[in-house]
Amino acid sequence: MNLDHYSLFTTDFQDYEFYSNGPKGRIKKVVRYSKIENDPITYNLAFGDETVDGEINDTVITDNQDRDMVLSAVVNTINIFCDHFGNQFIYAEGSTAVRTRLYQMGIARLWNEITLDFIVWGYRENAWHEFKINVNFEAFLAKRK
Amino acid sequence: MQTTKKAVIKGNKYNDIIITDQVRSYADEPFFVKKEEKAKAFLKKHPIPDHIKNR
Repeated sequence: MNLDHYSLFTTDFQDYEFYSNGPKGRIKKVVRYSKIENDPITYNLAFGDETVDGEINDTVITDNQDRDMVLSAVVNTINIFCDHFGNQFIYAEGSTAVRTRLYQMGIARLWNEITLDFIVWGYRENAWHEFKINVNFEAFLAKRK
Repeated sequence: MQTTKKAVIKGNKYNDIIITDQVRSYADEPFFVKKEEKAKAFLKKHPIPDHIKNR
């Protein structure tokens, strides 16, 4: 397991950068929060890799063998974001069904940690439900307790 | 990253948060603009219900 310590960098608390380190090298990750709704105030959490050309994408599965550290870093950005913008709703979805499923499995793996600080809902079968492990969702909402 | 640290906040066991003046805004990045539009469309079609809004 890669035990490197991932520092998060931010200037405005809406954009965050960190670096994944593993067998595939050092990969720059970017997390951005943007307001998408006023009632209730909701921010979209988007997340991708920045290529050497400066392009962002999330279509490549990096497999840098640090998935929990990456997810933990992303979850930590939610905490820092909420410290500065309040405990607003955070919306997230994957770019594809496969990617959404990966997010879901990540949430499930860290569920004991996540549920200490957050309420999480998932969208499926035309309704929002409280998140449950082993249930497939199309999108996610989180709110810090 | 060459960076001027303005502050460091202790994070969880995996990371610290380093406040710097060198992280650019990604607000106009096409990837994020597209994501934002997609999310807005999803919530417009599937709004957050009152019982969740009030949590």
